[in-house]
Formats: sequence, structure tokens, C-alpha cells
Amino acid sequence: MTLVGELSLWIALLMGVWAVTLSFAGGWMRREDLIISGERGLYATAGFVGLASVGLWTALITSDFSVKYVASYTSANLPTIYKISAFWGGQAGSMLFWCLILAGYGAAATFTNRSKNRALMPWVTGTNAAVLLFFVAATVIASNPFERLEWIPPDGRGLNPQLQNPAMAIHPPMLYLGYVATSIPFGFAIAALITRRLDAEWLGAVRRWALISWVFLTLGITLGMWWAYIELGWGGYWMWDPVENASLLPWLTGTAFLHSIMIQEKRGMLRKWNVVLVVGTFLLSILGTFITRSGIIQSVHSFAQSNIGAWFAWFLVLAIGVTVWLVSIRLKDLESKAELEAMISREAAFLYNNLVLVGIAFSVLWGTLFPILSEAVRGTKITVGESFFNAVNVPLGLLLLALTGIGPLIAWRRASVANIQRQFAFPAFLGLLVGAVLFVLGIRKLSPLMAWGLSGFVTGTILQEFYKGIGARMRMHGENVLFAFVNLVARNRRRYGGYIVHAGIVILFAAFAGMAFKQEHDVTFADGDTFKTKDPFGREWTFTSEGISRFKALNRDVVAVSLRPTVDGVVQPVLTSEKRQHFDTRGNPTFQEATEVGIMSFARQDVYLVLAGTVGDRAEVRINFNPLVAWVWIGGILMAVGGLIVMWPQEERQRQGGYRTELQPQHAEAATV
Amino acid sequence: MSLDRREFLVGLGGIATALAVRGVGAQQQPNTANMQQDAYRAVFLPAKAGATPQLDNLQRDALEKQLKCQCTCVLDVYTCRTTDFSCGVSPAMHRDVIRLVSGGYNADEIKQAFVDVYGEVALTAPVKEGFNYVGYFAPSIVLATGGIILTMMLRRWSLNAKVSAPVAAGLANSVPAGTTDAELERLQRALREEEL
Repeated sequence: MTLVGELSLWIALLMGVWAVTLSFAGGWMRREDLIISGERGLYATAGFVGLASVGLWTALITSDFSVKYVASYTSANLPTIYKISAFWGGQAGSMLFWCLILAGYGAAATFTNRSKNRALMPWVTGTNAAVLLFFVAATVIASNPFERLEWIPPDGRGLNPQLQNPAMAIHPPMLYLGYVATSIPFGFAIAALITRRLDAEWLGAVRRWALISWVFLTLGITLGMWWAYIELGWGGYWMWDPVENASLLPWLTGTAFLHSIMIQEKRGMLRKWNVVLVVGTFLLSILGTFITRSGIIQSVHSFAQSNIGAWFAWFLVLAIGVTVWLVSIRLKDLESKAELEAMISREAAFLYNNLVLVGIAFSVLWGTLFPILSEAVRGTKITVGESFFNAVNVPLGLLLLALTGIGPLIAWRRASVANIQRQFAFPAFLGLLVGAVLFVLGIRKLSPLMAWGLSGFVTGTILQEFYKGIGARMRMHGENVLFAFVNLVARNRRRYGGYIVHAGIVILFAAFAGMAFKQEHDVTFADGDTFKTKDPFGREWTFTSEGISRFKALNRDVVAVSLRPTVDGVVQPVLTSEKRQHFDTRGNPTFQEATEVGIMSFARQDVYLVLAGTVGDRAEVRINFNPLVAWVWIGGILMAVGGLIVMWPQEERQRQGGYRTELQPQHAEAATV
Repeated sequence: MSLDRREFLVGLGGIATALAVRGVGAQQQPNTANMQQDAYRAVFLPAKAGATPQLDNLQRDALEKQLKCQCTCVLDVYTCRTTDFSCGVSPAMHRDVIRLVSGGYNADEIKQAFVDVYGEVALTAPVKEGFNYVGYFAPSIVLATGGIILTMMLRRWSLNAKVSAPVAAGLANSVPAGTTDAELERLQRALREEEL
């Protein structure tokens, strides 16, 4: 099966060349037979990439240690689930995984558009096939997962213990599904530029793909935070690591696009900007991959050194060059109507929202790449860490949160003074009330106070929108609250799904602000020792050591410390943290010791226990009180759910009427009445 | 036109080469995924005469959060040493910090001592001086510039709309010029009800 896999990958490479050549030739010569052959070439490429993937999975599951990749990332005693997830645990496998997703997406995009967008499709198929061809070529030539060893080792090296975690089994696939989906809108953008069909047609086709990308990136980033929190043991979930940043960049520009696309749909404006955002999102995905794989920037997530970085550098330059050239020769076609009836309008709010999102993306990219720039200019290595990113991005984040609440309150085209007063009254009141109550309760830190106050404001906006919508449905259709809510969302998924996303954002920001009140305690425990402290909410906690235990588990030696907590005298479940030393089938240690943290999760806070190490019968631990962390996961999931609602197919006739409703002159309305 | 394209391609090739060389250079760097346990270098200064500690334990911990562990884990010294006993670098750096605190040095002096030995990479954030200001201020400048440009564009677009409004007034899907606030309110209501 390994041989079949490797052969399939080579055939996929040839099929990719076929698909690219025939699709572009068919588009150029307008020959349907070539176009169809190119599409079939893409399906065949997808099929062979799929077969290659089955080959690698088979090698991993059957522990075929003659394959270098299998020997490098698995061992015979590795649980099967992690043998499966080892597919994306290393450089070469993750490249093939990328190919697999890209092939699937490319085939799906071609298949679902086979009877529409016919003028665009040869170029879309050709571009998607070209991107796929690059990845297949890079995989086969520079990072082949089927490379053999000259001898067969008795056991493999095993999978990094930090990757032996359920979150890590699903977090990379989610991120890859998000990253790779950005290539389909890129294909449509290139096709639209080539064919000069730059009206709303191509946007309609890419919107769903942009949403697919956004939803998966949201899930991937949230799962990544969860994995970092439960696995890395440093007590937080986001450290502005370059690879974390790389995942955030396309999410930010993708979010900007999902807002600005509405302006082009409704007003025919921002054609150039939308092309820039679509292409930029794709390029940032590739840049993220380059950062992860080239070793150019120091990161805990980096793959082992490899020569794949140069491939991505060339690809980035080529993609930027082609896009810049196409945009430059299509500038006239990208001209759009530039009229705005008023400065205070939803269009303007969306544009400021775009500015802030892209501004955050720039600052994150800048901070990530600044060490390289500094070294190039001054010859001095520097570190750009959490304090830099927080200093720059916290104010921008708060501004973005404010705009999340402001945008929906302002009418499209032009907002009247009366409209603004009425719309802002309740949300502004709620925001001020939340801020005032928290101030009275003793919160004095400015950033969290602002974050929670603004969260109150945005919550007010969302509640008001739902209240009005539900109320109107109850009046018009005689529905009860629940049915009115469900039908309201179902009837206008884009709008109310969007509000659910905004609710997720509010929860996320409120939870982020909670970490400003994090408490850390470093404690040494002998068996039976007790430690007393107060949490950020003023409750008294007592931790009593139940001692250190040492035992063997499936593929590891474990040292564990257990603490019995009580809160205000009420006994809680035992909290345990472990140090794990993994070993192979011959008992040889593999990798460094890994920490398993103990987490007791409540709505208010997490109690987070880290065993730093043991000295004799004494355990050195860190106990953290991390406020509101559980809400980070809830916020992330809610955002993804909102995204799914927005994305869910809806009959054309059910879609928002928008400006199709003409304003009736007052006398005409009076006459009708 | 052909000259422009040639120039374009030459420029493109130049950028590609620069980036590719950069990428190849990066391959020669050590694997960043593995911790460099030999990265520690002693940071030592003689104790000041009649030295008394200038920092209490909390201030010392805060200082260690501004010093980066050199084992490539990307954590600060405090976080690394208190959560990962497999790292030998952060405890050694911690011992240096304790010695310098006992020697009567304040936080700035201790940070400078680490910078003298490791370079600026010893700090978790760039020092606010010289070229580093570009790092700190570029995002704000870019955003402010973007904000000014966007505001100017919006103003121009709104002026365009006022000029062309009489033409557009008769077209469907648009709001006639001179529409009153009350009429706009009715329009919003009508749109909302249509959505429902």
C-alpha cells in the first residue's frame, strides 16, 4: 500500500499538470472539450491524492517503519487515534494532508459550479489545479512522506507527547480546512480578473467558500487555544507565538471581507478592495505556512528544519506577482461607483470596521516579522513578545468591539438623527450600566473595565435587534417567543446568524478581559501540607496535598501530585497534575518530559494546577486562578455556530430584500392607506 | 508596454531570489522545535558595596517576566522555570537574577546586564529606543494614516452622491434626494417587515 501511495502521488502530479494545462487552454480557446477534460483532470488528481493519503494512513496504522515518516512520528505502542493523527504531526505528512484537503475542495468547487459560472470555471479550475499542483510537487520533491529508510528500525521514535492530545487530533485539521479554503475564493478572484467579469457574480460564488474558511479557522483557532491551555502548562491560551499569529491573520482579513462583500452586493462599491481582501487572505494563509515550515521565525510550533521554506517563498512571490499584474491591467474594470449618501451610515461603519480589522492584521504581521526586519537593519536579534502585541492590539481590539455594536445600529445609506438617538439609547445605557456597576464593585483596571462596558453595549445592540425582530414576528404572525426567535433566524440567516457571531465575539472579549485578574501561586507541597489563599472573587481556598504517586501507564512513566481543594469549607474533587516521560517498546525514553495540567473548571474561573517537578517527596506546583476561561471556548463555539447559520443555504426568495423595496412618496403611502 | 512587463518580471525575480535566499538561510538554523539547553551564559556583576536588595519577590517575578528564557521555548524566565522542570536554562537565569538582586541592582540594571550578555534577545519586548520605535509606532501610524485616508474618501464619496443624486433620484433601488428623516424611518420599518 505504501508503494501504491507513492505512485499515486506521482500520478497526481502528472494529472495536476494535465488539469492546469487543459483548463487554461480551454478557457483561452473557449473549447468546451478541453475545459471538461481539465475538470476531469482535477477530479483525477483529487482521486490520486486521496489514494496516496490512504497509503500513508495504512503505513501509519500498520507501523510500517520502513517509511521514514512513520518511524519518525509513531511508535508501535502509540494509541491508534494518534497513529491516525500523526498524518499531520510532521512536515511531510501535513503537506500531503494539505494536498488532500485542497484536492477535495477544488473538486467540490468545480463540481458544484459545473452548471453555473461557466465563463469563470475554466480559470477557477485551472487556478485551483495550479495551487494543488504546487503543493503536490512540493510534497513529492521536497517533502515526500513515503521516503524509505535504508534499514527497518525495530520501533519508531514516537509522536511528540504534546501532540498526544485529543485537541491536537482535531485542531490541525480544522485549521487546515480553514487555511486551504481560502484558495477557492482566490481561484475565483483570479478567474474574475482574467475574464473581466468583476461584477457581483464571482462574489456570490466565493461568499460561501469564504464562510467555510472563516468557520473552520474560528474552530481551529479556538481548539488551538484550548490545546495550548490544557497541554503546554504555562497557564494561558494565547502567547502571540508566530504560528498562532499566522492563523489569526487570514481570519482577520477574512472577517473584513465578509463585511465588505455586503457593501459590494448592496451598493456595487469596493470592487478593488474585495479583490485585495480575497487575494490577501489567501496569501496570508500561504505566508503562515511559510512561517511554520521555513524555520525563519522562532516558534514552539515550528516543524523540523526542512528545505520547504524556499518553495513557499517562491510560490508567494509568484502569487503576489501574478495578482499584482492582473489587478494592474484590470484597474479600469475594477472601477466602481463611489457614492455614499452620508458619512453616518452602515457602509461607513463597515469600512471603519474593515480598517480596524486590517489594522490589527497589519500590527500582528508587523510584530511577527519585526525581529527579521530588525536583524536585517541593525544586525541585532530581538524578541517581540506578549507585551508588545498587547500594547498595540488591546486598544484596537476594544475599538473593534465598539464597532461590532455600532455597525448594526446605523441604517444603510443614511441614518437620521432620530434614528441614531433611538437606536443607541438602550445599548449605550446597558454599556454604561455595566461599566458603572463594575466600577462600584471595585474594578479599576481600565482595559477590562472598557472591555466589559463595551461588551454590555454590544450585548444591548444584539438584544435590541432580536427584541425588535421577535416582537415584529409575534405581532405579524401571532407566534410565541420561541417560534418567533427560530423563524426570525431561519428567515434571515445572514443577519441574525451574524448577530450570533457578534454574541460569540462579546463573550470572547469579556473572557479575555477576565485574565487581567489572573492569580498565580508557586507552592511546595510535602505529603499532607496545606496551602490557603483567596481567589479573585474573594472566596477562600484550601489545598491539601494527598502526596506524590509514581506509576506506569500505556506508553509512559507518570509522576503525579494530587491536591484536595476546599472552597469556603466545601470539599471539591481531587485535582491532579502529572509529569509524563514517554518511552518506546524497548523502554527507552522518547522526547522530554511533558506536563499534564489539572483543571477544575467553573463558570467564574478555572483552578489550574501545574506540577513543575518533584524534589524527593516534595512537589513544586503552580496553582492559578484563571477567571472566565470557560467562556473563551463557549464564545469560540458560538461564533462558529453563528457562522454555520450564516452559511446555511437559503432559498433566493427568502433572502434579504435589501433595497429592492422602493421608498414610496408620503402621499402615495397615504393614498394606499 | 513590453518594457514595463520585462521590468516587472526582472523585479519579481529579484524579490523571489532575495526571499528564497532568506529561506535557504533559514534552513541552516538549528531546529527551533528542540530546546537548546546549552544556551545559558552566566550573567554576573560584583555586588555593590553594602548591597541591600532593591526588589522584593513579587518585583523580582515581574522582572523575570520581562526576560526571555533562552532555551527557544518562547516563554519568559518566570513562566518557564515555574512550569517546566525539564528546562535547565530558565532556572540558571533565575539564579543569576537572584544573585543580582542580592547584589543591590535594580530592575533596569539587571535587564541591562542580561542584554550585555545575550543581546536584546534577552528581553521579551524590544527596548524603546532607536530603530525599535519603528516597530512600536508603525502599526499606529499606518492605522492613523488609513483612518485619515478612509475619512477623506468617505467625504469625497458623499459629495459625489450629492452631485449625482438628482440623476439617481428617478432610478429604482435608491433613495431620492431630499428624502426626509421621517421617510427614511418608514423605509427602515418597511425593510425590516419585508425581512420578517
